[in-house]
Amino acid sequence: MPRAKDLDTIAPDDMVSTTPSVSVHKLKKHHKTKTATEIPVSPSVIPSLLPVRSPQDEGGSPTRSADLKYRQKVYELIKDKTAWPLSAFLARPKVFNFDGQNEDEEILLVLRRHWFTNLHWIFLTIAMLIGPMFLKYVPLLSSFSAKYQFVFILFWYLLTFAITFEHFLSWYFNVFIITEERVIDIDFYNLLDKKYSEAELAMIQDVTSKQGGVSQTVFDYGDVLIQTAAEIPVIKIDQIPNPNLIVQILQQMRGEERQEELEGRQK
Amino acid sequence: MTEIKRWLELVEKICVIIGTLVYLVFAVVIVRQVNSMSKIVHDKFNIVLIIFSYLHLAFAILLLILAILLL
Repeated sequence: MPRAKDLDTIAPDDMVSTTPSVSVHKLKKHHKTKTATEIPVSPSVIPSLLPVRSPQDEGGSPTRSADLKYRQKVYELIKDKTAWPLSAFLARPKVFNFDGQNEDEEILLVLRRHWFTNLHWIFLTIAMLIGPMFLKYVPLLSSFSAKYQFVFILFWYLLTFAITFEHFLSWYFNVFIITEERVIDIDFYNLLDKKYSEAELAMIQDVTSKQGGVSQTVFDYGDVLIQTAAEIPVIKIDQIPNPNLIVQILQQMRGEERQEELEGRQK
Repeated sequence: MTEIKRWLELVEKICVIIGTLVYLVFAVVIVRQVNSMSKIVHDKFNIVLIIFSYLHLAFAILLLILAILLL
């Protein structure tokens, strides 16, 4: 049986153009020489006839798997660390996003202060809630009429709610985000002041964790200091859970960035 | 004597109304704050927090009305 010369004479290590338009033409020619009857060649069957391409041929390189290895390691580190949706350690959250996030930018971690740091305002709230019960024993409002007393107590509970709500907002919205490209620290200091700092992972020079005191050792939380070559020299993340793990994750992500930089694949 | 007492009650009432007005401004600031924070950080509980902030504002308005009418 006569065989088409153009395909059969190709050596395994020859450069093969896999552009579909060229291949369709050549394959049609190939089929014409093989059979006497016309065989319709649809584009859907062509890929199965084309030579199988390795990842290297698709613009990747053997080192592509190296940075995937870093990412895989990060996924393993953060796996099963999120206990519930209001956790201080949110690993790869599905719903979470932030202002300025790129469309294809994956969020790896969202961190808030450790729950132990919230105890002071939780106790304050409880104390404020039960406070009016002691008015029987300490008659502070007895000189006022019943109408005034009612308004004062209502005001007291509203104030209790406001203080609790403010503390919760401060905890909930002060977040530190690690994405596949950068780290972002969003801080709301009070009702009106906020700070937004970010640094590319490639710009991170050094990452240090700091733990001290009984509570931080027992509950495993502490500070992480990120030194950068960016405009903001140091990003400090206060009282986050698993600080050592965060350092490891940032090291892995820096490794991945370095790998991408070496290969000139940086976004 | 009753004249002084009447004046004192009026001063008390004005003080309470000013206090509740200041609180109302604070409640408005909280609503604004939650809305502005929610625009920067989007999480699944944002809507609950926005509802709470509006409820708090509603109660602050109620307190002002009570202070004006009841006292």
